[in-house]
Amino acid sequence: MVDPKKIRKTILQMLYKAGASHLGSNMSVIEMLVAMFSSVDCHKIISGSNDRSRIFISKGHCAAGTYATMAYFNIIPFELLETYHQDDSLLTGHVSHEVIGVEHSTGALGHGLNVAVGCALGLKSKNVQDAKVLVLCGDGEIQEGSIWEGLMFAVHKKLNNLCVLIDNNRISSITMTYDVIDLRPLRSRFEGFGLNVYEVDGHNISEIQDCINKATDFSVPTVIICNTVKGKDVPFAEWQPVWHYRSLTEALYNEAVTYLDNK
Amino acid sequence: MRNIIIESIISEMEKNENIFFLTADMGINLVEKVEEKFPKRFANVGIAEQNLIGVASGLANLGFIPFVYTISNFVIHRCYEQIRNDIILHNNPITLIGTSTGYDNAPLGPTHHSIDDWGALRNFPGIDIYCPGSISYAKSLIKKIIDNKKPAYIRIPKGEFIKPDSDQDIVLLEGNNKSTLLITYGSPAQECIKVQEKNVDISVLVFNKLVSLDITGLKETLAGYDRLIVVEDHFASSGLYGLLCEFCNSNLIYKQLTSFAPTYYNFQVGRSSSYFHKKFGLSSEEINGKL
Repeated sequence: MVDPKKIRKTILQMLYKAGASHLGSNMSVIEMLVAMFSSVDCHKIISGSNDRSRIFISKGHCAAGTYATMAYFNIIPFELLETYHQDDSLLTGHVSHEVIGVEHSTGALGHGLNVAVGCALGLKSKNVQDAKVLVLCGDGEIQEGSIWEGLMFAVHKKLNNLCVLIDNNRISSITMTYDVIDLRPLRSRFEGFGLNVYEVDGHNISEIQDCINKATDFSVPTVIICNTVKGKDVPFAEWQPVWHYRSLTEALYNEAVTYLDNK
Repeated sequence: MRNIIIESIISEMEKNENIFFLTADMGINLVEKVEEKFPKRFANVGIAEQNLIGVASGLANLGFIPFVYTISNFVIHRCYEQIRNDIILHNNPITLIGTSTGYDNAPLGPTHHSIDDWGALRNFPGIDIYCPGSISYAKSLIKKIIDNKKPAYIRIPKGEFIKPDSDQDIVLLEGNNKSTLLITYGSPAQECIKVQEKNVDISVLVFNKLVSLDITGLKETLAGYDRLIVVEDHFASSGLYGLLCEFCNSNLIYKQLTSFAPTYYNFQVGRSSSYFHKKFGLSSEEINGKL
Protein backbone atom coordinates (compact mmCIF):
# COMPACT_ATOMS: atom_id res chain seq x y z
CA MET A 1 0.00 0.00 0.00
CA VAL A 2 1.33 3.39 -0.99
CA ASP A 3 2.13 5.49 2.10
CA PRO A 4 0.23 8.80 2.24
CA LYS A 5 2.93 10.29 4.46
CA LYS A 6 5.51 9.83 1.69
CA ILE A 7 3.15 11.42 -0.82
CA ARG A 8 2.62 14.40 1.49
CA LYS A 9 6.36 14.90 1.90
CA THR A 10 6.79 14.78 -1.87
CA ILE A 11 4.04 17.36 -2.32
CA LEU A 12 5.65 19.67 0.21
CA GLN A 13 8.89 19.47 -1.74
CA MET A 14 7.11 20.16 -5.03
CA LEU A 15 5.12 23.12 -3.70
CA TYR A 16 8.07 24.65 -1.88
CA LYS A 17 10.40 24.41 -4.88
CA ALA A 18 7.71 25.89 -7.13
CA GLY A 19 6.51 28.55 -4.72
CA ALA A 20 3.09 27.21 -5.57
CA SER A 21 -0.26 27.46 -3.82
CA HIS A 22 -3.11 24.98 -3.16
CA LEU A 23 -1.35 23.27 -0.28
CA GLY A 24 -4.57 22.87 1.70
CA SER A 25 -6.50 21.40 -1.26
CA ASN A 26 -3.79 18.91 -2.09
CA MET A 27 -3.32 17.62 1.45
CA SER A 28 -7.00 16.79 1.92
CA VAL A 29 -7.23 14.37 -1.03
CA ILE A 30 -4.25 12.06 -0.59
CA GLU A 31 -6.02 9.07 0.91
CA MET A 32 -8.80 9.50 -1.66
CA LEU A 33 -6.27 9.46 -4.51
CA VAL A 34 -4.54 6.38 -3.11
CA ALA A 35 -7.88 4.60 -2.82
CA MET A 36 -8.81 5.60 -6.38
CA PHE A 37 -5.58 4.54 -8.03
CA SER A 38 -5.59 1.31 -6.00
CA SER A 39 -9.03 0.53 -7.38
CA VAL A 40 -8.11 0.66 -11.07
CA ASP A 41 -5.73 -1.19 -13.36
CA CYS A 42 -2.82 1.24 -13.69
CA HIS A 43 -1.17 -0.87 -16.38
CA LYS A 44 -4.16 -0.24 -18.62
CA ILE A 45 -3.98 3.47 -17.83
CA ILE A 46 -0.32 3.53 -18.86
CA SER A 47 -0.99 1.56 -22.05
CA GLY A 48 -4.08 3.62 -22.89
CA SER A 49 -6.23 0.54 -23.38
CA ASN A 50 -9.68 1.75 -24.38
CA ASP A 51 -11.47 -0.59 -21.98
CA ARG A 52 -9.53 0.82 -19.00
CA SER A 53 -11.12 2.17 -15.87
CA ARG A 54 -10.71 5.91 -15.79
CA ILE A 55 -9.97 8.49 -13.11
CA PHE A 56 -11.04 12.08 -13.62
CA ILE A 57 -9.71 14.83 -11.39
CA SER A 58 -12.52 17.37 -11.67
CA LYS A 59 -10.97 19.31 -8.78
CA GLY A 60 -8.04 20.16 -11.04
CA HIS A 61 -6.07 22.25 -8.57
CA CYS A 62 -5.01 19.18 -6.64
CA ALA A 63 -2.52 18.67 -9.45
CA ALA A 64 0.54 18.35 -7.22
CA GLY A 65 -1.19 15.64 -5.20
CA THR A 66 -2.34 13.84 -8.34
CA TYR A 67 1.09 13.90 -9.97
CA ALA A 68 2.81 12.79 -6.75
CA THR A 69 0.34 9.94 -6.27
CA MET A 70 0.75 8.85 -9.89
CA ALA A 71 4.52 8.72 -9.38
CA TYR A 72 4.09 6.42 -6.37
CA PHE A 73 1.84 4.24 -8.54
CA ASN A 74 4.58 4.14 -11.21
CA ILE A 75 2.48 5.92 -13.79
CA ILE A 76 4.91 8.82 -14.20
CA PRO A 77 8.60 9.01 -13.20
CA PHE A 78 9.64 10.77 -9.98
CA GLU A 79 12.11 12.93 -11.90
CA LEU A 80 9.18 14.56 -13.69
CA LEU A 81 7.84 15.88 -10.37
CA GLU A 82 10.87 18.13 -10.05
CA THR A 83 9.65 20.07 -13.06
CA TYR A 84 6.32 21.01 -11.47
CA HIS A 85 5.50 24.65 -12.27
CA GLN A 86 8.86 25.09 -14.06
CA ASP A 87 9.35 26.61 -17.53
CA ASP A 88 8.60 24.19 -20.40
CA SER A 89 7.26 21.51 -18.04
CA LEU A 90 3.93 19.84 -18.74
CA LEU A 91 3.20 19.67 -15.02
CA THR A 92 0.97 22.72 -14.77
CA GLY A 93 -0.78 23.79 -11.58
CA HIS A 94 -4.02 22.15 -12.74
CA VAL A 95 -4.00 18.62 -14.10
CA SER A 96 -3.14 18.31 -17.77
CA HIS A 97 -4.08 15.54 -20.20
CA GLU A 98 -0.66 16.06 -21.76
CA VAL A 99 0.62 14.01 -18.81
CA ILE A 100 0.16 10.27 -19.08
CA GLY A 101 -2.48 9.05 -16.65
CA VAL A 102 -4.49 12.27 -16.71
CA GLU A 103 -7.67 11.71 -18.71
CA HIS A 104 -8.81 15.29 -19.09
CA SER A 105 -7.39 18.74 -18.41
CA THR A 106 -9.38 20.51 -15.73
CA GLY A 107 -8.98 23.66 -13.70
CA ALA A 108 -12.24 25.48 -14.22
CA LEU A 109 -14.49 23.67 -11.77
CA GLY A 110 -17.61 21.82 -12.79
CA HIS A 111 -16.22 20.28 -15.97
CA GLY A 112 -14.54 17.00 -15.11
CA LEU A 113 -17.62 15.36 -13.65
CA ASN A 114 -19.62 15.82 -16.87
CA VAL A 115 -16.79 14.36 -18.93
CA ALA A 116 -16.68 11.41 -16.51
CA VAL A 117 -20.43 10.96 -17.03
CA GLY A 118 -19.82 10.86 -20.79
CA CYS A 119 -17.17 8.20 -20.31
CA ALA A 120 -19.48 6.12 -18.16
CA LEU A 121 -22.17 6.42 -20.84
CA GLY A 122 -19.72 5.44 -23.54
CA LEU A 123 -18.49 2.38 -21.65
CA LYS A 124 -22.10 1.21 -21.29
CA SER A 125 -22.66 1.87 -25.00
CA LYS A 126 -19.67 -0.33 -25.81
CA ASN A 127 -20.83 -2.99 -23.31
CA VAL A 128 -17.61 -2.78 -21.34
CA GLN A 129 -18.67 -4.51 -18.14
CA ASP A 130 -15.73 -4.33 -15.80
CA ALA A 131 -14.43 -0.80 -16.18
CA LYS A 132 -15.37 1.95 -13.78
CA VAL A 133 -15.18 5.71 -13.94
CA LEU A 134 -14.04 7.50 -10.77
CA VAL A 135 -14.19 11.25 -10.47
CA LEU A 136 -12.85 13.49 -7.71
CA CYS A 137 -14.79 16.70 -6.99
CA GLY A 138 -14.42 19.40 -4.39
CA ASP A 139 -17.15 20.40 -1.93
CA GLY A 140 -16.99 23.98 -3.18
CA GLU A 141 -17.07 22.69 -6.74
CA ILE A 142 -20.54 21.23 -6.23
CA GLN A 143 -21.86 24.78 -6.17
CA GLU A 144 -21.43 24.73 -9.97
CA GLY A 145 -24.77 23.98 -11.64
CA SER A 146 -23.13 21.79 -14.26
CA ILE A 147 -22.36 19.25 -11.52
CA TRP A 148 -26.07 18.70 -10.92
CA GLU A 149 -26.79 18.54 -14.66
CA GLY A 150 -24.31 15.69 -14.83
CA LEU A 151 -25.62 13.88 -11.76
CA MET A 152 -29.26 14.10 -12.90
CA PHE A 153 -28.37 12.63 -16.26
CA ALA A 154 -26.16 9.91 -14.77
CA VAL A 155 -28.95 8.77 -12.45
CA HIS A 156 -31.53 8.82 -15.24
CA LYS A 157 -29.27 6.71 -17.46
CA LYS A 158 -28.43 4.38 -14.53
CA LEU A 159 -24.69 4.84 -14.96
CA ASN A 160 -23.77 2.61 -12.04
CA ASN A 161 -20.22 2.35 -13.39
CA LEU A 162 -19.72 5.95 -12.24
CA CYS A 163 -18.44 6.75 -8.75
CA VAL A 164 -18.09 10.35 -7.59
CA LEU A 165 -15.83 11.13 -4.64
CA ILE A 166 -16.40 14.45 -2.89
CA ASP A 167 -13.46 15.96 -1.03
CA ASN A 168 -15.59 17.39 1.77
CA ASN A 169 -12.87 19.46 3.42
CA ARG A 170 -15.48 22.10 4.24
CA ILE A 171 -13.33 25.08 3.25
CA SER A 172 -13.49 26.83 -0.11
CA SER A 173 -11.25 29.72 -1.08
CA ILE A 174 -12.29 32.34 1.45
CA THR A 175 -14.15 30.70 4.31
CA MET A 176 -16.09 27.59 5.31
CA THR A 177 -17.97 26.21 2.34
CA TYR A 178 -21.25 26.11 4.25
CA ASP A 179 -20.96 29.84 5.03
CA VAL A 180 -20.96 30.54 1.30
CA ILE A 181 -23.74 28.16 0.26
CA ASP A 182 -25.01 25.78 2.93
CA LEU A 183 -25.82 22.46 1.23
CA ARG A 184 -25.87 20.46 4.44
CA PRO A 185 -26.80 17.76 4.94
CA LEU A 186 -24.89 16.70 1.82
CA ARG A 187 -26.01 13.14 2.11
CA SER A 188 -29.70 13.89 1.66
CA ARG A 189 -28.92 16.38 -1.15
CA PHE A 190 -27.37 13.62 -3.19
CA GLU A 191 -29.94 11.03 -2.12
CA GLY A 192 -32.65 13.45 -3.23
CA PHE A 193 -31.13 13.35 -6.69
CA GLY A 194 -31.43 9.58 -6.72
CA LEU A 195 -27.82 8.66 -6.05
CA ASN A 196 -26.48 5.92 -3.86
CA VAL A 197 -24.53 7.71 -1.13
CA TYR A 198 -21.81 6.75 1.32
CA GLU A 199 -20.26 9.05 3.88
CA VAL A 200 -16.83 8.09 5.18
CA ASP A 201 -13.70 9.26 6.93
CA GLY A 202 -11.89 10.72 3.93
CA HIS A 203 -8.50 9.81 5.39
CA ASN A 204 -9.29 6.11 5.77
CA ILE A 205 -8.10 4.44 2.59
CA SER A 206 -9.71 1.06 3.14
CA GLU A 207 -13.06 2.60 3.99
CA ILE A 208 -13.01 4.55 0.71
CA GLN A 209 -11.85 1.52 -1.27
CA ASP A 210 -14.61 -0.59 0.21
CA CYS A 211 -17.23 1.90 -1.01
CA ILE A 212 -15.69 2.06 -4.49
CA ASN A 213 -15.81 -1.73 -4.70
CA LYS A 214 -19.45 -1.90 -3.59
CA ALA A 215 -20.59 0.89 -5.94
CA THR A 216 -21.39 -1.35 -8.90
CA ASP A 217 -23.79 -3.40 -6.75
CA PHE A 218 -26.31 -0.63 -7.14
CA SER A 219 -28.34 0.36 -10.17
CA VAL A 220 -27.48 4.05 -9.92
CA PRO A 221 -24.22 6.01 -9.67
CA THR A 222 -22.56 6.30 -6.28
CA VAL A 223 -21.37 9.38 -4.42
CA ILE A 224 -18.82 8.92 -1.66
CA ILE A 225 -18.76 11.93 0.66
CA CYS A 226 -15.23 11.88 2.04
CA ASN A 227 -15.00 13.99 5.18
CA THR A 228 -11.51 15.42 5.11
CA VAL A 229 -9.31 18.06 6.66
CA LYS A 230 -8.02 20.80 4.41
CA GLY A 231 -4.26 20.93 4.93
CA LYS A 232 -4.25 17.50 6.59
CA ASP A 233 -1.03 16.68 8.47
CA VAL A 234 0.41 20.16 8.02
CA PRO A 235 -0.53 21.56 11.46
CA PHE A 236 -0.18 25.27 10.65
CA ALA A 237 -2.37 24.78 7.53
CA GLU A 238 -5.12 22.55 8.90
CA TRP A 239 -8.56 24.21 8.77
CA GLN A 240 -7.00 27.50 7.59
CA PRO A 241 -8.68 29.00 4.50
CA VAL A 242 -5.62 31.11 3.71
CA TRP A 243 -3.69 27.94 2.92
CA HIS A 244 -5.79 27.53 -0.18
CA TYR A 245 -3.51 30.21 -1.68
CA ARG A 246 -0.47 30.71 0.54
CA SER A 247 2.90 29.30 -0.50
CA LEU A 248 5.58 27.85 1.75
CA THR A 249 8.53 29.74 3.17
CA GLU A 250 11.71 27.80 3.90
CA ALA A 251 10.95 27.85 7.61
CA LEU A 252 7.41 26.58 7.17
CA TYR A 253 8.55 23.91 4.70
CA ASN A 254 11.06 22.61 7.25
CA GLU A 255 8.48 22.73 10.01
CA ALA A 256 6.02 20.72 7.90
CA VAL A 257 8.58 18.10 6.89
CA THR A 258 9.78 17.68 10.49
CA TYR A 259 6.21 17.11 11.64
CA LEU A 260 5.69 14.36 9.07
CA ASP A 261 9.03 12.74 9.90
CA ASN A 262 8.07 12.54 13.56
CA LYS A 263 4.47 11.44 12.97
CA MET B 1 -31.89 21.70 -44.41
CA ARG B 2 -31.74 20.25 -40.91
CA ASN B 3 -33.42 17.07 -42.17
CA ILE B 4 -30.66 16.66 -44.76
CA ILE B 5 -27.99 17.05 -42.10
CA ILE B 6 -29.69 14.50 -39.82
CA GLU B 7 -30.14 12.05 -42.71
CA SER B 8 -26.46 12.42 -43.57
CA ILE B 9 -25.54 11.70 -39.96
CA ILE B 10 -27.77 8.61 -39.93
CA SER B 11 -26.14 7.43 -43.15
CA GLU B 12 -22.68 7.83 -41.62
CA MET B 13 -23.81 6.16 -38.37
CA GLU B 14 -24.78 3.12 -40.42
CA LYS B 15 -21.20 2.83 -41.67
CA ASN B 16 -19.30 4.02 -38.60
CA GLU B 17 -20.12 2.58 -35.17
CA ASN B 18 -18.16 5.33 -33.45
CA ILE B 19 -20.58 8.13 -34.30
CA PHE B 20 -22.75 9.20 -31.38
CA PHE B 21 -25.66 11.65 -31.54
CA LEU B 22 -26.71 13.84 -28.64
CA THR B 23 -29.42 16.46 -28.28
CA ALA B 24 -30.37 18.93 -25.58
CA ASP B 25 -34.05 18.05 -25.93
CA MET B 26 -34.46 19.62 -29.38
CA GLY B 27 -35.40 18.18 -32.78
CA ILE B 28 -38.96 16.85 -32.58
CA ASN B 29 -39.82 14.70 -35.61
CA LEU B 30 -36.14 14.63 -36.54
CA VAL B 31 -34.10 13.01 -33.81
CA GLU B 32 -36.52 10.20 -33.01
CA LYS B 33 -35.36 8.20 -36.01
CA VAL B 34 -31.76 8.44 -34.82
CA GLU B 35 -32.78 7.05 -31.45
CA GLU B 36 -34.88 4.34 -33.03
CA LYS B 37 -32.08 3.14 -35.30
CA PHE B 38 -29.18 3.57 -32.88
CA PRO B 39 -30.46 3.50 -29.29
CA LYS B 40 -27.02 2.82 -27.88
CA ARG B 41 -25.48 5.75 -29.74
CA PHE B 42 -28.12 8.32 -28.95
CA ALA B 43 -28.67 10.45 -25.87
CA ASN B 44 -31.04 13.26 -25.01
CA VAL B 45 -29.31 15.01 -22.11
CA GLY B 46 -32.26 17.31 -21.47
CA ILE B 47 -32.16 21.10 -21.33
CA ALA B 48 -28.60 21.09 -20.05
CA GLU B 49 -26.11 22.39 -22.58
CA GLN B 50 -23.09 22.37 -20.29
CA ASN B 51 -23.65 18.70 -19.62
CA LEU B 52 -24.24 18.16 -23.35
CA ILE B 53 -20.70 19.25 -24.15
CA GLY B 54 -19.15 17.52 -21.14
CA VAL B 55 -20.80 14.21 -21.99
CA ALA B 56 -19.75 14.57 -25.64
CA SER B 57 -16.17 15.13 -24.45
CA GLY B 58 -16.29 12.01 -22.32
CA LEU B 59 -17.52 10.05 -25.31
CA ALA B 60 -14.67 11.48 -27.38
CA ASN B 61 -12.26 10.20 -24.71
CA LEU B 62 -13.43 6.70 -25.62
CA GLY B 63 -12.98 7.29 -29.36
CA PHE B 64 -16.55 8.22 -30.24
CA ILE B 65 -17.27 10.96 -32.81
CA PRO B 66 -20.05 12.96 -31.19
CA PHE B 67 -22.55 15.23 -32.92
CA VAL B 68 -24.48 17.52 -30.58
CA TYR B 69 -27.71 19.22 -31.63
CA THR B 70 -29.74 22.15 -30.37
CA ILE B 71 -30.58 25.74 -31.31
CA SER B 72 -27.56 27.78 -32.44
CA ASN B 73 -27.57 30.28 -29.59
CA PHE B 74 -27.83 27.63 -26.92
CA VAL B 75 -25.17 25.33 -28.31
CA ILE B 76 -22.63 28.12 -28.07
CA HIS B 77 -23.45 30.69 -25.43
CA ARG B 78 -24.76 28.43 -22.66
CA CYS B 79 -21.75 26.15 -22.76
CA TYR B 80 -19.02 28.47 -23.99
CA GLU B 81 -16.46 27.45 -21.39
CA GLN B 82 -17.18 23.77 -22.03
CA ILE B 83 -16.50 24.36 -25.75
CA ARG B 84 -13.25 26.08 -24.86
CA ASN B 85 -11.94 23.73 -22.18
CA ASP B 86 -13.48 20.37 -23.03
CA ILE B 87 -13.54 20.50 -26.82
CA ILE B 88 -10.93 22.98 -28.09
CA LEU B 89 -8.18 22.35 -25.50
CA HIS B 90 -8.46 18.63 -26.17
CA ASN B 91 -8.98 18.93 -29.94
CA ASN B 92 -11.94 16.60 -29.50
CA PRO B 93 -13.65 15.77 -32.83
CA ILE B 94 -17.03 16.99 -31.65
CA THR B 95 -19.44 18.72 -34.04
CA LEU B 96 -21.81 21.33 -32.69
CA ILE B 97 -24.97 21.53 -34.78
CA GLY B 98 -26.97 24.71 -34.32
CA THR B 99 -30.35 25.01 -35.92
CA SER B 100 -31.72 28.39 -36.94
CA THR B 101 -29.48 31.22 -37.98
CA GLY B 102 -29.90 34.95 -38.01
CA TYR B 103 -33.57 35.87 -37.75
CA ASP B 104 -35.03 32.42 -38.54
CA ASN B 105 -36.86 32.59 -35.19
CA ALA B 106 -37.87 36.20 -35.76
CA PRO B 107 -41.02 36.56 -33.65
CA LEU B 108 -39.56 34.75 -30.65
CA GLY B 109 -37.51 37.72 -29.54
CA PRO B 110 -33.78 38.51 -29.28
CA THR B 111 -32.89 35.58 -27.02
CA HIS B 112 -33.63 33.41 -30.07
CA HIS B 113 -31.94 35.59 -32.69
CA SER B 114 -28.68 33.91 -33.76
CA ILE B 115 -26.79 37.03 -34.79
CA ASP B 116 -23.80 36.55 -32.51
CA ASP B 117 -23.18 32.81 -32.57
CA TRP B 118 -20.32 31.81 -34.82
CA GLY B 119 -18.48 35.05 -34.16
CA ALA B 120 -18.01 33.94 -30.58
CA LEU B 121 -16.19 30.86 -31.85
CA ARG B 122 -13.76 32.95 -33.90
CA ASN B 123 -12.05 33.51 -30.58
CA PHE B 124 -10.89 29.90 -30.57
CA PRO B 125 -8.22 28.38 -32.78
CA GLY B 126 -8.86 24.93 -34.13
CA ILE B 127 -12.60 24.84 -34.79
CA ASP B 128 -14.08 24.84 -38.31
CA ILE B 129 -17.29 26.79 -38.88
CA TYR B 130 -19.81 26.00 -41.59
CA CYS B 131 -23.03 27.59 -42.73
CA PRO B 132 -24.40 25.33 -45.50
CA GLY B 133 -25.99 27.56 -48.10
CA SER B 134 -27.58 24.90 -50.23
CA ILE B 135 -28.89 21.35 -50.24
CA SER B 136 -25.87 20.20 -52.27
CA TYR B 137 -23.41 21.54 -49.74
CA ALA B 138 -25.41 20.22 -46.79
CA LYS B 139 -25.37 16.71 -48.33
CA SER B 140 -21.59 16.75 -48.65
CA LEU B 141 -20.83 18.24 -45.27
CA ILE B 142 -21.03 15.49 -42.65
CA LYS B 143 -18.61 13.15 -44.42
CA LYS B 144 -16.19 16.06 -44.85
CA ILE B 145 -16.35 16.87 -41.14
CA ILE B 146 -15.82 13.26 -40.05
CA ASP B 147 -12.76 13.00 -42.31
CA ASN B 148 -11.30 16.21 -40.84
CA LYS B 149 -11.27 14.76 -37.30
CA LYS B 150 -11.45 18.12 -35.53
CA PRO B 151 -13.98 20.29 -33.73
CA ALA B 152 -16.63 21.88 -35.94
CA TYR B 153 -19.74 24.04 -35.77
CA ILE B 154 -22.53 23.88 -38.32
CA ARG B 155 -25.13 26.64 -38.25
CA ILE B 156 -28.13 25.51 -40.30
CA PRO B 157 -30.38 28.14 -41.87
CA LYS B 158 -34.09 27.42 -42.15
CA GLY B 159 -35.15 26.66 -45.68
CA GLU B 160 -34.33 24.33 -48.57
CA PHE B 161 -31.92 26.37 -50.69
CA ILE B 162 -31.15 25.11 -54.18
CA LYS B 163 -28.66 27.78 -55.25
CA PRO B 164 -25.75 27.88 -55.26
CA ASP B 165 -25.79 24.24 -56.31
CA SER B 166 -22.26 23.36 -55.25
CA ASP B 167 -20.30 21.40 -52.68
CA GLN B 168 -17.44 23.92 -52.72
CA ASP B 169 -16.59 25.83 -49.56
CA ILE B 170 -16.76 29.18 -51.35
CA VAL B 171 -18.81 29.67 -54.52
CA LEU B 172 -18.49 32.59 -56.92
CA LEU B 173 -21.58 33.43 -58.94
CA GLU B 174 -19.96 35.72 -61.45
CA GLY B 175 -21.84 38.68 -62.83
CA ASN B 176 -21.15 40.46 -66.07
CA ASN B 177 -18.63 42.91 -64.72
CA LYS B 178 -16.21 43.34 -61.89
CA SER B 179 -17.85 46.34 -60.32
CA THR B 180 -19.69 45.01 -57.27
CA LEU B 181 -19.24 41.81 -55.28
CA LEU B 182 -21.81 40.86 -52.67
CA ILE B 183 -20.10 38.59 -50.12
CA THR B 184 -22.51 36.53 -48.06
CA TYR B 185 -23.63 33.27 -46.43
CA GLY B 186 -26.77 31.63 -45.02
CA SER B 187 -30.21 33.17 -45.59
CA PRO B 188 -28.94 36.58 -46.79
CA ALA B 189 -27.20 34.73 -49.63
CA GLN B 190 -30.62 33.97 -51.07
CA GLU B 191 -31.40 37.69 -51.00
CA CYS B 192 -28.12 38.45 -52.78
CA ILE B 193 -28.91 35.85 -55.44
CA LYS B 194 -32.26 37.60 -56.00
CA VAL B 195 -30.35 40.88 -56.46
CA GLN B 196 -28.20 39.21 -59.14
CA GLU B 197 -31.27 37.80 -60.88
CA LYS B 198 -32.55 41.33 -61.37
CA ASN B 199 -29.13 42.88 -62.08
CA VAL B 200 -26.78 40.63 -64.03
CA ASP B 201 -23.80 42.90 -63.47
CA ILE B 202 -23.68 42.00 -59.79
CA SER B 203 -21.45 39.13 -58.63
CA VAL B 204 -22.13 37.09 -55.49
CA LEU B 205 -19.58 35.22 -53.42
CA VAL B 206 -21.26 32.64 -51.18
CA PHE B 207 -19.40 31.16 -48.22
CA ASN B 208 -20.49 27.70 -47.13
CA LYS B 209 -17.48 27.46 -44.85
CA LEU B 210 -16.47 30.47 -42.78
CA VAL B 211 -13.55 29.14 -40.72
CA SER B 212 -10.97 28.11 -41.61
CA LEU B 213 -11.05 30.05 -44.83
CA ASP B 214 -10.35 28.31 -48.10
CA ILE B 215 -8.03 30.97 -49.37
CA THR B 216 -7.40 29.39 -52.77
CA GLY B 217 -8.09 32.17 -55.23
CA LEU B 218 -9.81 34.31 -52.59
CA LYS B 219 -7.20 37.05 -52.68
CA GLU B 220 -7.46 37.34 -56.47
CA THR B 221 -11.24 37.27 -56.37
CA LEU B 222 -11.52 40.06 -53.81
CA ALA B 223 -8.80 42.15 -55.41
CA GLY B 224 -10.57 41.94 -58.76
CA TYR B 225 -13.66 43.93 -57.73
CA ASP B 226 -14.16 47.65 -57.18
CA ARG B 227 -16.75 47.37 -54.44
CA LEU B 228 -16.94 44.67 -51.76
CA ILE B 229 -20.15 44.47 -49.72
CA VAL B 230 -20.53 41.90 -46.93
CA VAL B 231 -24.18 40.96 -46.34
CA GLU B 232 -24.75 38.86 -43.22
CA ASP B 233 -27.31 38.15 -40.52
CA HIS B 234 -24.66 38.38 -37.81
CA PHE B 235 -22.90 41.22 -36.05
CA ALA B 236 -20.27 42.53 -38.43
CA SER B 237 -17.09 42.90 -36.40
CA SER B 238 -17.20 39.31 -35.15
CA GLY B 239 -18.71 38.07 -38.42
CA LEU B 240 -17.54 37.67 -41.97
CA TYR B 241 -17.01 41.41 -42.32
CA GLY B 242 -14.45 41.41 -39.50
CA LEU B 243 -12.83 38.25 -40.79
CA LEU B 244 -12.44 39.69 -44.29
CA CYS B 245 -11.12 43.00 -42.97
CA GLU B 246 -8.30 40.99 -41.42
CA PHE B 247 -7.81 38.95 -44.59
CA CYS B 248 -7.70 41.99 -46.86
CA ASN B 249 -5.32 43.82 -44.57
CA SER B 250 -2.88 40.94 -44.28
CA ASN B 251 -3.02 40.33 -48.04
CA LEU B 252 -2.57 43.99 -48.89
CA ILE B 253 -5.96 44.21 -50.59
CA TYR B 254 -6.72 47.85 -50.10
CA LYS B 255 -10.41 47.95 -50.89
CA GLN B 256 -13.18 49.41 -48.87
CA LEU B 257 -15.35 46.71 -47.36
CA THR B 258 -18.91 47.76 -46.65
CA SER B 259 -21.07 45.93 -44.11
CA PHE B 260 -24.81 45.26 -44.30
CA ALA B 261 -25.52 43.57 -40.97
CA PRO B 262 -27.53 43.88 -37.76
CA THR B 263 -26.03 46.35 -35.37
CA TYR B 264 -28.09 45.82 -32.23
CA TYR B 265 -30.48 43.45 -30.50
CA ASN B 266 -34.05 44.23 -31.43
CA PHE B 267 -37.08 43.87 -29.15
CA GLN B 268 -39.78 44.56 -31.76
CA VAL B 269 -41.70 41.62 -33.10
CA GLY B 270 -40.87 40.64 -36.64
CA ARG B 271 -43.32 38.05 -37.95
CA SER B 272 -40.59 36.63 -40.14
CA SER B 273 -36.94 37.17 -40.94
CA SER B 274 -38.02 39.51 -43.77
CA TYR B 275 -38.87 42.16 -41.16
CA PHE B 276 -35.32 42.20 -39.85
CA HIS B 277 -33.72 41.77 -43.26
CA LYS B 278 -35.56 44.93 -44.29
CA LYS B 279 -34.60 46.75 -41.08
CA PHE B 280 -30.91 46.00 -41.42
CA GLY B 281 -30.62 46.25 -45.19
CA LEU B 282 -30.30 42.53 -45.88
CA SER B 283 -33.32 42.10 -48.17
CA SER B 284 -32.90 42.16 -51.96
CA GLU B 285 -34.95 45.37 -52.18
CA GLU B 286 -32.86 47.14 -49.57
CA ILE B 287 -29.60 45.96 -51.13
CA ASN B 288 -30.72 47.08 -54.57
CA GLY B 289 -31.69 50.44 -53.15
CA LYS B 290 -28.19 51.00 -51.82
CA LEU B 291 -26.26 49.85 -54.87
